[in-house]
Amino acid sequence: MDGPPAPRLVHTVLRCYPARWRRRHGDEAAELAALLIRDGTPAAAVAGSYLAGAGREWLTPRPGRRVSAVACALLVAAGALGVSTGLLASAGPARAASTSRASTHCRPSSPATVPALTPDRGQPRLVIPAAAHGRSC
Amino acid sequence: MAIGKRDGQAEPDVLRRAGEASVLILVSLADGPKHGYALIQDIKELAGVELGPGTLYGALDRLERLGLIESLPADDRRHPYQITRPGAAALRVHLDSLERVSAAGRLRLQLGGI
Repeated sequence: MDGPPAPRLVHTVLRCYPARWRRRHGDEAAELAALLIRDGTPAAAVAGSYLAGAGREWLTPRPGRRVSAVACALLVAAGALGVSTGLLASAGPARAASTSRASTHCRPSSPATVPALTPDRGQPRLVIPAAAHGRSC
Repeated sequence: MAIGKRDGQAEPDVLRRAGEASVLILVSLADGPKHGYALIQDIKELAGVELGPGTLYGALDRLERLGLIESLPADDRRHPYQITRPGAAALRVHLDSLERVSAAGRLRLQLGGI
């Protein structure tokens, strides 16, 4: 009994399985998907079930999967690094701007204009630099 | 791990943590070999459970690794599966265990008068 062809979505999801699984079940899984969809199961539900199955299949430890596992881990790590780099890159200019603004804001404009100790009529007067230029840091 | 007793020998219930899908597949295969689509249809009829195809293949692989089922030569593109002797024994132990729990539960419900 040949069923109708499985939709492209299902074929795409089936490619997420390890090669060993696809060699063993790939054709049968596509045919089963087509039959279930013909019976009225939504294609998205079939694809979702296969997607979850593919995730479990990759997470199940298998003998001889070490190379694949390492490659997978490297891919995940590279992805995470890419995301982190992207986040850093997007946050960088904002942080740099706020840092430079803060430093110019916090720095007294000139030691001459804001002396710590100003002689006034022979008596020393304490000038708080923060108050002198109105910074709030 | 639950222990089933048959012929005075203690047998471990290997299906205790195998999941519902695995048990349903073994029950479905108990009366003869079936392929994936037939399994899904049969389980839907006997238990009212609609197994997703991803769940089905995951459980089939797990049961095959445990030696509880075996794949027969492909018929066209479809692989029929059949239950093995250890699979049948494991299913008996599990069903016995379920029966004991079920009987105890019913008795307690009666005693409790709920």
